[in-house]
Amino acid sequence: MSIAIIDYGMGNLRSVQKGLERVGFEAVVTRDPRSIEAAAGVVLPGVGAFGACMQNLSTYNLIDTVHRVVRSGKPFLGICLGMQLLFEESEEFGPVRGLGILPGKVVRFIDRPELKVPHMGWNAVHKRANPPHLEGVDDGAAVYFVHSYYVVPSDPSLTATTTVHGVEFTSSIYRGNVFASQFHPEKSQSVGLRLLENFGRVVTGRSDARAAGAASC
Amino acid sequence: MRLLRGEMEAATVYGDDPLEVGRRWLAEGAEYLHVVDLDGAVSGTRVNHDIIARLCGELSLPIEVGGGIRTVERAVELIEQGADRIIFGTVALTEPEIVREACRRLPGRVAVGIDARDGKVAIKGWTETSHADATEFARQCEDAGACRIIYTDISRDGTQEGVNLEYTSALARSIGIPVTASGGVGSLRDIENLRRREDAGIDAVIVGRALYTGAVRLGEAIAAAA
Repeated sequence: MSIAIIDYGMGNLRSVQKGLERVGFEAVVTRDPRSIEAAAGVVLPGVGAFGACMQNLSTYNLIDTVHRVVRSGKPFLGICLGMQLLFEESEEFGPVRGLGILPGKVVRFIDRPELKVPHMGWNAVHKRANPPHLEGVDDGAAVYFVHSYYVVPSDPSLTATTTVHGVEFTSSIYRGNVFASQFHPEKSQSVGLRLLENFGRVVTGRSDARAAGAASC
Repeated sequence: MRLLRGEMEAATVYGDDPLEVGRRWLAEGAEYLHVVDLDGAVSGTRVNHDIIARLCGELSLPIEVGGGIRTVERAVELIEQGADRIIFGTVALTEPEIVREACRRLPGRVAVGIDARDGKVAIKGWTETSHADATEFARQCEDAGACRIIYTDISRDGTQEGVNLEYTSALARSIGIPVTASGGVGSLRDIENLRRREDAGIDAVIVGRALYTGAVRLGEAIAAAA
């Protein structure tokens, strides 16, 4: 049962693959639609500009694939741009249309003398929901961010965690089979690896005492 | 509302067996890994390029790489391999237009390492001391678009005798971008002293030899910096 990491030419995928392997899950980097749709779980990574990411997804004919994978209900993890792309549009060199899978838009941190943009470094996530992906992740745990834009979901119930950088923004979302984070779990030390491990467990449907306790934490 | 993160981050310098050492610091909770290609710094060779690529790809924490980065292409290559940030050294003094171009293409990803001996910038793996003043040079780097200065006092490096607080603070105060202090950290006291200079703009510290000798334990250093 392997996890497909979508390769659309944006970003270093090896860290994500190695992270998943480190916590015991097989992960394949691929841009083949059939392999992606056949996988037990899918990861959409992404770094760089929103428009360039959408362009590449289009060039590699992966837009429909992403829609189908999400609709299929199989576990889906978006990382960084891979979270932003799920929304309707971004103002980065925009407005640029996104995948429109989730309602809301992507906006830029406002430049101010005392606010560093891009938001780069370790910052705390505050839990607003309890998806299995965040099990074992403490409220206030530090994770690693690199971004200038952040999502603003139209539906507040999408927000799984918030983080403060000038403003309080949604740092991860959760809905059904989709979990996505603005931060990079593959660069977030043991906290990030725990999130990847949780995702792997969701994919393989493994259950144990820890997962069973998730609903109450 | 406090807007700046301003948290001290303890990074580490790698030694003999890079991947194993990297994994050790990762396991001990390092927030960043500071990787220096010494061969690259001295002679610009590619001998370490593969191992650096592996470090960037395999370790689950942000990595900054410096040493022998002399072209924009090499900077881009490292970022594409997964480095979080690259550090220019010699070339920032001798060919500032390269730094400018790299900052343009990789916004937020380019730092400059200033290694100084008595306030004068040393280059080429510390084999030469220039006549350039370190603080003035730091200002020029900021103008070129660098996102951070990593300041190493060579006379302290490896001594575990304590960082050069005065000069590092003065340099940090004279620029708007943050400074990573490096060179001479020998005890938790040094980290605590640096933490008190955070308002000057020093928001990170690199601990090298002291970690390898055991004089400082990484977990305690991170706690002292928090």
